Amino acid sequence: MPGIDECLLEVMQLPGARGAALVDWTSGLALGIAGESPGGDYETAAAEAAELARLAAEHRAFAPDDDITDPPVEDVIISNRDSYHVLCFVQTSFDSSVFLHLWLARVEGNLALARIRLGEMTGRLVLG
Amino acid sequence: MTAVTTTPPPRLPVRDKAEARDRAWGGVSPMLTRLAAERATGVLVRERGTLHLAEGRVVHAESPAAPGLGALLTAHGTLDADTWRQAADEATEPPGAGLLLVARGRLTRGALELCHLETLYDAAYFVLAPSSTPGRFRYTGPGRSGAVRAVTVAALEHETLRRRDLLHRIWPDPATDEAPLLRADTVALPGLTARQRAVLHLVDGVRTAPEIARAMGRPAFHTLVDVRRLAAAGVLVRGAPQPAAPAWPETTDPDITLLKRLRDALESL
Repeated sequence: MPGIDECLLEVMQLPGARGAALVDWTSGLALGIAGESPGGDYETAAAEAAELARLAAEHRAFAPDDDITDPPVEDVIISNRDSYHVLCFVQTSFDSSVFLHLWLARVEGNLALARIRLGEMTGRLVLG
Repeated sequence: MTAVTTTPPPRLPVRDKAEARDRAWGGVSPMLTRLAAERATGVLVRERGTLHLAEGRVVHAESPAAPGLGALLTAHGTLDADTWRQAADEATEPPGAGLLLVARGRLTRGALELCHLETLYDAAYFVLAPSSTPGRFRYTGPGRSGAVRAVTVAALEHETLRRRDLLHRIWPDPATDEAPLLRADTVALPGLTARQRAVLHLVDGVRTAPEIARAMGRPAFHTLVDVRRLAAAGVLVRGAPQPAAPAWPETTDPDITLLKRLRDALESL
């Protein structure tokens, strides 16, 4: 059964994965990290990604019509010239505010595949 | 249409590591730093809770202000209360109970690690708060119940200081952190998030922020973040009688109440 580190190592097996982190978006704390950190400092990267995740999770404009899940958002995707960032929210049966941040090289990475696999892997992390 | 929203929270802080190194002992508790250096195993008892160390690393933290692992896992039905109680009776400490439940297939390893780290950092935030009495350390032998994940003292102190910064930047007045909370008489309720509404729903003039956290099964620090944001937006106030402010006429004029809140915040800086 995977723990946080095993889950992050599995995420790093995705083609083009440069770095991964499990981050709490209320506090900005990285609960686990693997690979490189975007910008070179994992703490700054976690705090910055947490701000973005919190905005996405809190604003009504991004929620589905039947806003019953917490958080209402599944993931946030950012692209730039050389990479993708996928922030995948972890749905838990307990109260939490956690997402998985994957930093993906744009040339080798497959965004659609990464998005689906992140959903599966975060599900296995907390639900088994 | 003008949308009224709550004050946007400030950027999450990142502590300057050089600045921390320059400080004499770089942390919040010289005793804890020393225990880490000597790779001590035992229990540090401070005014607001305890830290459990194994070979100089923190494996468990408890504070009356922070909901424990059991509260987090039972509040929303991840585990039923009986299942938790049974495991808690068999193990010496909550992390040990969590490991038993993982072994029995009642909980995933990932869920346990996630809740364990959240509760550890949460309780440690209160345990490491400035205290008026010195801490005591009780050495214990090895062979205590297994650790889920150990955290270094340096990482824990660093995160605790970062969390203090975060609350301070949201709203510098700690008056609402531990007192009973009351809804303020607001003319127009600002746009609240679902998580803030859950907090506000439990505000009744009696419950304190830690009690609200326990009722929600949410880490106390996470609750404090929303409580400070609600206080900053003028939605919440401390419920206990404030010290009588001489010669200040009672008013509900929004401009004057805003000025008074600003004054209180400035005074607490």
